[in-house]
Amino acid sequence: MTSISLNLIMAFSLALAGVLIYRSHLMSTLLCLEGMMLSLFILMALLISHFHMLSVSMAPLILLVFSACEAGVGLALLVKTSTDYGNDYVQNLNLLQC
Amino acid sequence: MKMMVIFLLSLLLIVGFVAFASKPSPVYGGLSLVASGGLGCAIVVSLENTFLGLVVFLVYLGGMLVVFGYTAAMATEEYPESWVGNAVAFGMLLFTLLVELIWYFVSGEVEIVTAVELFDSVGSFCVGRDYSGVSLLYGCGGWALVLLGWILFITIYIVLEVVRGRD
Repeated sequence: MTSISLNLIMAFSLALAGVLIYRSHLMSTLLCLEGMMLSLFILMALLISHFHMLSVSMAPLILLVFSACEAGVGLALLVKTSTDYGNDYVQNLNLLQC
Repeated sequence: MKMMVIFLLSLLLIVGFVAFASKPSPVYGGLSLVASGGLGCAIVVSLENTFLGLVVFLVYLGGMLVVFGYTAAMATEEYPESWVGNAVAFGMLLFTLLVELIWYFVSGEVEIVTAVELFDSVGSFCVGRDYSGVSLLYGCGGWALVLLGWILFITIYIVLEVVRGRD
């Protein structure tokens, strides 16, 4: 169980590092945020089923709702920037005017 | 045996995470994220959390379908960037391999114990499997349900405010 949770924590760290590095598209950052949420969900399900903390088994559903909110707001920001600039390059965000 | 299967599934999950965390073109990133979501569903189902697996497969991959459709619509490049010659992907894969090897030589064993017959008690209730989360959400977790509904409402308000054009 410890090696599986180590793998999941490392998947979370990889997705976090993916959020932090600078590449051309803004869309890739949103995908990395989704991946962070996915690894947290799996880790939470693993811990709940292993430690029998079934009284907190509504926590993954709550996390899933938060993930949906985050994806919605992120996609709205992406749509806003892509309609203003024509593409979703991060370097367009250097201009502090819209 | 079964734990070994879950361990191999988590290794495949890490490979999928490396594939989209190294940020190739969003088309490949979306594809590998969908594959990672399927692998995550397989892991959750293998832990005998069948309801949570179904939820993550329907909700997460359903939402991911929208995101992936949007990325495929926005990919206007003629030659989308792949992983070939991507130093970030190579470094991440090397780091992962190093950590796994160190972990294997420090404590090289994989074991888990699941006993889903055990029950947990909440107040005067007795909850069992993973689908008890929903009944808890309608029962003593009603405040969370109300809060989540309010948060979703606020989110759609924020989305409408963000995408509204300035007049």
